[in-house]
Amino acid sequence: MDTTPSTPAPAPQATQSPAEASPRPARGGRSGLVMPLLLAAISVFLLVGAATLDAVGTEFPGPRFLPVILAVVGLVLAAILAVGAIRHPEPSVDPTTGAARPRTDLVALAWVGGGFLAFALLLTYLGWILAGALLFWCTSHGFGSRRPGFDVLLGLFLASAVYLIFGTGLGLVLPTGFLGMLGGGA
Amino acid sequence: MDQLGLLMEGFAGALTPMNLLWVVVGCLLGTAVGVLPGLGSSMAVALLLPMTFALDPTAAFILFAGVYFGGLFGDSTMAILLNTPGQASAIASTFEGHKMANSGRAPQALATAAIGAFIGGMIASVLVVFLSPTLVAVSASFGPPEYFALALFAFVATSSVVADNIAKGLAALVIGVAITMVGIDGISGLERYTLGAPQLFDGISLVTVTVGILALGEVLFVASRIRGTREDLRIRAAGRPFLSAAEVKEAAPAWARGTLIGLPFGVVPAGGAEVPTFLAYEAERRLDRRRKHPVFGKGAIRGLAAPEAAGNATTGMAMGALLALGLPISATAAIMLAAFRQYGLQPGPLLFERSPELVWALLASFFLAMVVLLIINLPFAQLWSKLLLIPKPQLYGGITLFCGLGIYATSGAVFDLLMLLGVGVLGFLMRRYEYPLAPLMIGMVLGPLAESSLRDALLSSVGDPRVLVSSPITIVIYALLAVVVALAVRAAVRQRTREDL
Repeated sequence: MDTTPSTPAPAPQATQSPAEASPRPARGGRSGLVMPLLLAAISVFLLVGAATLDAVGTEFPGPRFLPVILAVVGLVLAAILAVGAIRHPEPSVDPTTGAARPRTDLVALAWVGGGFLAFALLLTYLGWILAGALLFWCTSHGFGSRRPGFDVLLGLFLASAVYLIFGTGLGLVLPTGFLGMLGGGA
Repeated sequence: MDQLGLLMEGFAGALTPMNLLWVVVGCLLGTAVGVLPGLGSSMAVALLLPMTFALDPTAAFILFAGVYFGGLFGDSTMAILLNTPGQASAIASTFEGHKMANSGRAPQALATAAIGAFIGGMIASVLVVFLSPTLVAVSASFGPPEYFALALFAFVATSSVVADNIAKGLAALVIGVAITMVGIDGISGLERYTLGAPQLFDGISLVTVTVGILALGEVLFVASRIRGTREDLRIRAAGRPFLSAAEVKEAAPAWARGTLIGLPFGVVPAGGAEVPTFLAYEAERRLDRRRKHPVFGKGAIRGLAAPEAAGNATTGMAMGALLALGLPISATAAIMLAAFRQYGLQPGPLLFERSPELVWALLASFFLAMVVLLIINLPFAQLWSKLLLIPKPQLYGGITLFCGLGIYATSGAVFDLLMLLGVGVLGFLMRRYEYPLAPLMIGMVLGPLAESSLRDALLSSVGDPRVLVSSPITIVIYALLAVVVALAVRAAVRQRTREDL
């Protein structure tokens, strides 16, 4: 699974070519290559899927027609964008204001993304209320909240309110988790 | 008049106490989300999309209309007061609007914006009511080649006009269309790109992609930038929120011109209200230069009035185009289209025949939403800005919780939550590296239509590509497309030469 946030980080160092002695600090970096790489990966996936698709008996513009066009366009675009990212690395200073460009805060990203991953994986075991409160707490912590106790209470309150309004009131099926099993399945 | 009779029936349908309540709730919710910094109307609609399943379709769409227009009002409130537009279409309002607020005329600026939006939206709604039969008649004669031409137009126009960088726009478009390739191919019945996972046989849900790209991606992006952002949000003193007669007289021509500029863009699939708002602003600025005492740059009321009217005129017309043609012109309209599909309704000519009560009640609710919004925005705009006092950690914690709720409510599967996270990361990366999001949404929504109409057309002509340009309508559409591309290329070249100087 793609555990989210770490992707942009390693790229700058890894792709810094030794031949080009850039005057810009390394931080400005080549992490912009992430998107062209992703696009290329998607295009290759489209091509491989089209090649392995058993499309016997379909007439000319069959299920492989558009994917192949998309893949070709995607690869061309990926090449253009990659060249652009290499030739114009992000400046570390904003050219218009002169202020330092904001950095990507990986710790905050990890808290929010990781919190959501934990929420998704634990939802059926913990139940909506506890997992939801966990998600709320992780997110607000990632956003720099320094009131953990208050966040726990607010998260529990919000998740419970949602459970009451949407689960009980509007009839959405939200998991009860082990609490529900203890109570004999509410 | 036939339309008037139908509209009256629509009002009768929309004016039930319950539906009226949904209009008000929608307007309040939309304004609230629009007012919050960084959150725009498309995020409001995206978050709300999964919530509406408990409602009947009419109530759901009335709620949507309220949220959508409310979000636009909220966006411009914040653009004026704090110079933080929640949506690209509110950027043009910041230029003169925020200057007005800085010079102590915040209430007048808010009133100018609210009245401008009201006028633009109202005129657009009236036009939609009277033009919709024509649009329906035109679109009834559309076959696969015409629909393919329209989809292609929407693709190219959104990727090239809205995006600063055409390659980035097209990349977003390719990713959007590629997402729709997953699942069972509708024409041959073959399963594609599912990796054998049964959860993917029906394809990747548009709701998941919408919430992931527009909501969770935004949360991740804000999280990555949370340190070092300024916290010195000031709310300016309240005052008399009314315009003097002289101010109304000053703004009136700008409202009218803005509306005129905005209307045609509602039926052109070129990315929504962003382009017309800038055009309206630019037109006013040029007119202003010819006057004896140019006031632009010092908080010119006309520089705010015109883009506000243009933005809402486009939005109103876009709703008409969505209903009559089934063609979304912006990301938010794309989400509305997704909502229609969730209810098994397909916007387009047949919708007017099959569910007239829904269509006309929805159109009537546009008028109601405009009135309600004027009421809750004109006197209380200052009150709305108090929402800024919600601390960011708790605000975004709540938003993330609602993302999770929305997706789990629609699918009931952990798989979709993981998919949401993956799409959210994609949304984050696209924001981080300044890839436009609208082409991805348009590609995702219109991808299946483009593919099936292209293949149907080619199958019927036994592979002869000339079928794609066989009718006058298709030739007109491709000619328009050529004009749009030429203009975009010209603008790009100009910008480059200016940079080099």
